[in-house]
Amino acid sequence: LESESEYSASCSEEEEEEEEQKEANTVVLGRKTPAKTKAASTPPPKKTLSKKMKEDKMSNLVEEYFEAHSSSKVLTSDRTLQKLQKRRLSQETLRDLLKKAPLAFAAEIKELNQQHESLFSKWMLQLHLGFNIVLYGLGSKRDLLEKFRTSVLQDSVHLVVNGYFPSITVRSVLNSITEEVLEHIGTFRSPLDQLEFIMKRFKEDPSLELYVLIHNLDSQMLRGERSQQILAQLSSLPSIYLIASIDHINAPLMWDQAKQSLFNWLWYETTTFSPYVEETSYENSLLVQQSGSLALSSLTHVLRSLTPNARGIFRLLAQYQLENKDNPSYPGLSFQDFYQQCREAFLVNSDLTLRAQLTEFRDHKLIRTKRGADGVEYLLIPVDDSTLTDFLEKEDEDV
Amino acid sequence: MSTCSVSKGCFVFKPSPKKRRVSPKTADYFREGNNDSEDSGLRFATCQSLWKQIKSETEQIQEELNKQLFDNLVSFLRRSHSEFQEKTTEWTCQMKSSEIPTAALVLGVNVTDHDLTFKSLSEVLQNNITPYVALLQAKDCPGIKNLMQKLMGQLMNCYIDVDTSDEEDWVQVSQNRIRCSMASLISWYENITKKTDSETPSKKRTSSRHLQSPPVVVIFKDMESFTTKVLQDFLVISSQHIRELPLILIFGIATSPMIIHSLLPHSVSSLLCIELFQSLSCKEHLSTIIDKLLLTTQFAFKLSEKVLQVLINIFLYHDFSVQNFIKGFQLCIVEHFCSQPLSVLCCRLVEAKKRVNSLSHSQCENVRRLPSFRRYVESQVSEKQIALLTADNFLKEVIQKLLEDLHVYHENYVPVLRCLHVFTSSLPKYPLGKQIRELHCACLENRVWETEEYESSLQLARMLNKSDLVTMLQKCVEIFASSSGKEFDKVVEKLKEFLTQFQKLEVAGACQERGESVSSQKELQKKTDLYHLQKTLLELKESRRSKKLTKFEMLRFEVVDFIDNLVRNYLVPADHKTLHEIMYFNTASALREHLNAAPRIALHTALNNPYCYLKNQALKSDGGTISNKAPDICIVYKLHLECGRLINLVDWLEAFSTVVMAVEGPNAAASDQVDDIIHARFIRAVSELELLGFIKPSKQKTDHVARLTWGGC
Repeated sequence: LESESEYSASCSEEEEEEEEQKEANTVVLGRKTPAKTKAASTPPPKKTLSKKMKEDKMSNLVEEYFEAHSSSKVLTSDRTLQKLQKRRLSQETLRDLLKKAPLAFAAEIKELNQQHESLFSKWMLQLHLGFNIVLYGLGSKRDLLEKFRTSVLQDSVHLVVNGYFPSITVRSVLNSITEEVLEHIGTFRSPLDQLEFIMKRFKEDPSLELYVLIHNLDSQMLRGERSQQILAQLSSLPSIYLIASIDHINAPLMWDQAKQSLFNWLWYETTTFSPYVEETSYENSLLVQQSGSLALSSLTHVLRSLTPNARGIFRLLAQYQLENKDNPSYPGLSFQDFYQQCREAFLVNSDLTLRAQLTEFRDHKLIRTKRGADGVEYLLIPVDDSTLTDFLEKEDEDV
Repeated sequence: MSTCSVSKGCFVFKPSPKKRRVSPKTADYFREGNNDSEDSGLRFATCQSLWKQIKSETEQIQEELNKQLFDNLVSFLRRSHSEFQEKTTEWTCQMKSSEIPTAALVLGVNVTDHDLTFKSLSEVLQNNITPYVALLQAKDCPGIKNLMQKLMGQLMNCYIDVDTSDEEDWVQVSQNRIRCSMASLISWYENITKKTDSETPSKKRTSSRHLQSPPVVVIFKDMESFTTKVLQDFLVISSQHIRELPLILIFGIATSPMIIHSLLPHSVSSLLCIELFQSLSCKEHLSTIIDKLLLTTQFAFKLSEKVLQVLINIFLYHDFSVQNFIKGFQLCIVEHFCSQPLSVLCCRLVEAKKRVNSLSHSQCENVRRLPSFRRYVESQVSEKQIALLTADNFLKEVIQKLLEDLHVYHENYVPVLRCLHVFTSSLPKYPLGKQIRELHCACLENRVWETEEYESSLQLARMLNKSDLVTMLQKCVEIFASSSGKEFDKVVEKLKEFLTQFQKLEVAGACQERGESVSSQKELQKKTDLYHLQKTLLELKESRRSKKLTKFEMLRFEVVDFIDNLVRNYLVPADHKTLHEIMYFNTASALREHLNAAPRIALHTALNNPYCYLKNQALKSDGGTISNKAPDICIVYKLHLECGRLINLVDWLEAFSTVVMAVEGPNAAASDQVDDIIHARFIRAVSELELLGFIKPSKQKTDHVARLTWGGC
């Protein structure tokens, strides 16, 4: 193993002597790398000293924390995944591989789930008595809520919100209530107006009832203060029944006293140990290769609606960006150069036309402009290179 | 339709109108939730009616408690508005005329309770002062424009509401079309007052309730959360127009009145003419609620000591919110009626006796299974035991008798508790607690007279002075006289006797003392030398020590013993009573779980010790270790605990695969296939940890993640 020599501090601005470095390395080897066998088999500690040990543990934890944060440099090994000769897995291969791996403790997990399922009618009772229900505990609660939905809510109007969906907004939740549940045509100026409209409708018509299921109420997109406020107000309506799940360890911090009393939660621990398949499928995980299929499809969609000239302009920019993909300090294509190139390709006849075109691109978030240090405007496509390559190939096929 | 999609996050499901049920009754869920459908309909009805009663009771209590405050506020509004109406030309008034009358309403930190207060306040104002009341919340008013819009919307709507009865053809003005400015608000106000002025002769109804040209009251519900800029702008603008538009402000304040001055600069706060109002403290509110809901025989449903303690702890250590306390109480009621099949008998005594007669056989069996009933049976003679366990009819008779006993117990318990509280609440250091709820908890917990605190309070009571003792006894007499218990006539008589004895003592004591002191003083006044003086003083002291207890002291002992006797007779803990399970809800754990959950601990336990949840012997481990057969995420979690601030993914992966490979055994060759699967499992576990918030990707170093938690979660 040659890893021995690969250790270094993450902050390299400090020059350190070789010997000191070596010494540090040995320490690191002993402690900082995860011990490989510790989890598997260690002798049981003495139980008589358990209380004292607990105290020790407590103070150790505190010390550990300050130790880890005292200096800006952290010592870990320098090995990277590239050297491991293991290609990054794509989303699909990952899914296929995981299908092959058997689910451990299936029987026990099933039993756990059955315990939770026996609570369904109790939940319904409590929802109807004015409480809302929040589920917590390790494991995906999606299947449990789906089961709840299909077994109890089949005959009533309900709304399912996938909080983990990367582009979910509170606006889209409100929209689906006004448009699909209340069948209202028209737009609203602000979410607050929309909320007011919903509240008014539900108060006017007592026969209206709506069950709202939110998977991952604590997701990135919904955890904001304003979103939570709106959802809390929504859930405080007597004829809206909310049942939600949370996973993040700090999720309860989202709610202050006022929101909590609006939500009127009853907490239920539903530890399921089921893998978070759906919830993590969107996540830009570290080890998963970015397929970028979503970005690609949106690119083609937008460009298909543009004029041939506009498409040409975009192609020029994309090609130029790909040519420079190995240059880490590539700032983008400056506007003047770009104009020149476009003129040469007979795509525009004045810089005004080009500017108008660029505005359209910018509105669709296809390009980004950045002002360089010299005040020159640089243009960039904020999509990663592989997606861009795919896109160009596809374009070529179409043409 | 599936709810997985890559393009959509919200899914609405509407059943076809044919299939749509006519909203299933809540009672159905109640029945489904219970495996034994024993009397569930009746139980649910009892539960609902009980909750309704309690709810209206609490609302009434709140109303009464707020009455004083609201009266003060109303008179303040009237006064400040009359100044506006007089329009005197005096110099002081002109100086004052650009000041906006403002009431600063200090409500306390229990923000969740404020909503109800404001709701009833605006009702009171609308009934007594003015139809024009606007309630503003900080979250609706991020800018002055939104504030004006909200304000005008509320004011103009309220106008329409008032008048719809008279003018059907009033066209509702869309608030969006009016320009939201102070000018339009003023013109609206002028319009409206002119109209009502011209109409007043025809309808006296409104003018009798409301003042002439009623003021516009604007309530800022949560003054602290408003942006300073918005508040300042609004105040400056409205002070410019105060003569055309009689505005009165009410600030809801959660912290302290100083906040007004720290939020507003002097130039703005000088535009206000502030008067301070203080609402009742939430602790007093809670005491009243406990007094009216728990220490009464009006409601059959009771809370056991542990449950009450949980609710009080949530109140004291978490939110000070009376609303939440009531919510917890509601949950207790629901849980009790859900889980206890015999709760059907948890109603008024007369009704319960009737219900006993119609109990089914299986319900009788339920009664026989109650631990308190078992104890009761064991204490009976053998023939009676057999009869109790076999004959349903005999059992029913006994149940009726026992229920009556329980009722009498409650009837007696409350006045005696209050009486004891009169004594203990005036002792130094309050060994049994200052509040009656603490005393109540102590009495419910176990035999209070066996506790040390009780012993010491009795000792302290034996040292009370006479005037205190007399006032206490008088209070006790009042308590017993107003109680409904039938056994207290004698007690009252006895207490009154004590009082008269004290009075007699006073007269007699005065004479005696005077005589005594005169004689001793005479002795002292005699001319003596130092030696003699010393001697007489010593003698005096000696005589005092050896002297038997005075009459007062004897009487005091008697009183304390009497009270002690009462306590021993009547303050038996409820769980010593037969059939207490019917009335008392005692699953405190359920309550804590649902109201005061600890999600982080649950997560940590699941990760650290999966055996708690997955009862599989393979997972059983002791100490801080974890079995290598544990779910992937547990192993990955355990490994990450051993790392510092940054974690190298490669090392982590390697450690993981070593642990996992150990399970597969040495013969499972490290084929590529197996390797890939382990890799995939690792990826899944790591992304799950990321979702749970334990790690996050870090850019400090390639292929590293940062750890986000420290300590035992």
